[in-house]
Amino acid sequence: MTTNRKGFTVSLLLVVMMSMLLAACGGNDNTAGRPSPGSTGETGMEAGKPVTLEFWTIALQPTFNDYFNELIAKYESSHPGVKVEWKDYPYDAISQRLLTSTASGKSPDVVNLNTEFASQLGSKGALLNLNEYLTDEEAKSYFEGIYNSTVFDGKAYALPWYTGTEVLFMNTKLVKEAGLDPANPPQTREELVEWARQVHEKTGVAGYAQQLVSKLFPIDGIPILNEDKTAAAFNTPEAEAMIAQMRDLMAEGVVLKEDAEFSKQIQYFSGEQVAFQLSGPTFINFIKKSAPDVYKNTIAVTLPTGKANLRLSNSMDLVVPQKSKNPEQAVEFAAFITNAENQTAFSKVANTLPSSKASIEDPFFTQSDGSLEAEAKVASSQSLDKATDYMVGVPNAGDINSALARGLQEILMNGADIKETLNAVEKEVNQILNQDS
Amino acid sequence: MYKAIRSESFAAWAFMAPGLLFLAIFTFWPIIYGIPLSLTDYSVITETHFVGLDNFTRAFQDHNFLISLWNSLVYVLVVPVIQIISILMAILVNSRIPGVKMFRAAYYIPVVTSMVAVALIWSWLLGNNGVVNYLLLKVGILSEQVSWLSTSSTALYVLMFITMWKGLGYYMMLYLAGLQGIPADLYEAARVDGAGPLRLIIHVTLPLLRPHILFCTVISVMGAVRVFDEVYILTKGGPGTSTLTSSVYIFQKGLEQFNFGYASALGLIVSVMVAALSVLVFRLNRRGGVNTY
Repeated sequence: MTTNRKGFTVSLLLVVMMSMLLAACGGNDNTAGRPSPGSTGETGMEAGKPVTLEFWTIALQPTFNDYFNELIAKYESSHPGVKVEWKDYPYDAISQRLLTSTASGKSPDVVNLNTEFASQLGSKGALLNLNEYLTDEEAKSYFEGIYNSTVFDGKAYALPWYTGTEVLFMNTKLVKEAGLDPANPPQTREELVEWARQVHEKTGVAGYAQQLVSKLFPIDGIPILNEDKTAAAFNTPEAEAMIAQMRDLMAEGVVLKEDAEFSKQIQYFSGEQVAFQLSGPTFINFIKKSAPDVYKNTIAVTLPTGKANLRLSNSMDLVVPQKSKNPEQAVEFAAFITNAENQTAFSKVANTLPSSKASIEDPFFTQSDGSLEAEAKVASSQSLDKATDYMVGVPNAGDINSALARGLQEILMNGADIKETLNAVEKEVNQILNQDS
Repeated sequence: MYKAIRSESFAAWAFMAPGLLFLAIFTFWPIIYGIPLSLTDYSVITETHFVGLDNFTRAFQDHNFLISLWNSLVYVLVVPVIQIISILMAILVNSRIPGVKMFRAAYYIPVVTSMVAVALIWSWLLGNNGVVNYLLLKVGILSEQVSWLSTSSTALYVLMFITMWKGLGYYMMLYLAGLQGIPADLYEAARVDGAGPLRLIIHVTLPLLRPHILFCTVISVMGAVRVFDEVYILTKGGPGTSTLTSSVYIFQKGLEQFNFGYASALGLIVSVMVAALSVLVFRLNRRGGVNTY
């Protein structure tokens, strides 16, 4: 009797497990199907049915409520039948929200993501290929380096939106103490290192702090992946030399021996423990509050370039999830938000940089009133034509970034052997590229 | 008699039902559902395929996962330390010295403080220019600043210390409850036989606390293997893989990189490991305690 009951229980459990297995395999069919690409510019009325577009942004409410409410109202009035629902989430929450809403079959239509996350989702096939919807003219209206950062196999998975490039902030008090002239700032990474060394020797303060991330490779012209993005390409003598130099600079105290996140970098610059800071213009807002005296002594100049002679942008994009129920209207709306006119207007209210070529002609980006904010803006906007996102077309960018960052930490913080670590990370990156999941 | 037992067990189930319902929905079901998921490449956002045991074979070839398992096992070293110190603390706060209630409350404060707050406070204390470095430099123990959380040789142990610091009060309270259940006449009898304070602890207190020690050790081992909050907030597993624990790695694979199928497989492996460790602890602690009926 007991045996029978046990047998029955085991069978029942097996049946339940098998049914769940089938459910897990079949529960995620992409039934949306590919819509036929249509010309943009039509109204959102499809067979007379009104359309509601769900538009998600990252951390823009309530600061920019006025700008977006006006923009959405303008769009709705020129597109009768289309209604836009704008939702805003914190940076850390948007990926979770996107996952849960996708899982429950309620995908948003237009989502604001950063390039790394957009690449990660794009390479997994979760986003719409926008090249099927955009005209050539529309695609070419963005800076090429930024637009291409989410292009894989000729498929563009995101429209660039607001962006930022790094500039060099300099504590003029410390620089002058070291006998250097802030009016003739360093132009290259080598010169910056020399300046940092001199600051360290004369004042005891370190040159700068930085985060150990994968962009250190492309700055020096070391590609992360090969041409067709099928294998790692960073395990080279040049990479070894670059990392060895970084290790020596940390040992000397010229660069802080730390994997310093942005918040840490703010602390170091505010506390005058470093003389330089390499970051986007938003950095100003933080030191203005945390260290007004340091803010007074700070100037912003164009970022010295590395061997690759390029500057890296850090962009926010708009994507259309593959499961959006209104793909055509969604792409049209994303193109509207990111067109030159609207990007210029947004840059003016948000103090960001636009990713559309035409915007940069506006006097707002070429004239400075002498304030630190304006200097940083002009310095960074003038380098947009050279800007590229460092994860250009890298599939599974998030995974590859983590692997490279971990490897750099192993070498620079934990003293691991450069060559051995690069070999191990290369193997890991190739595994990431070869796996389907 | 039989009826009485039946109505008693019905009442017991009725009281347990709400808790069990939540456990079933939020704990048991995800664990069971994780089994079929671990055999797929489920990622929420793309089509799901059955991959058989691929995730498991991949797991045992995944260098980072093996490191994370090792780090989690190292983390278990915190368990005996926590237990010993919290037993001693419980014995101290069980005495009738004036102001003892204040100490009980003070030791318990870290337990009810949010881990995020605790982690942030420790990150400031342990920062390059933090209080810890300042004091150690002042008294001459250190000759230069140490980046406690950015140095591979110290980061994991610092995290273990924070876990211990936060958990001590919790286990102290559990042991205190145990101590107060030990009949006073046992101590008196031992004293009559000439036992000193140390002998009382070794021959009376510890044997009678065994069930509590067993319970605390088991949950402490589970907590140590599954440690997440402090590691994720303070180091995210870095520098390199120095503090990468299994829970952090599973979180990164699942919720940051959307490899839920693979993350489920890793979760199952870790669950089996935790279960095995728990069984081991049970095996080692089978006797002792006070028979209250």
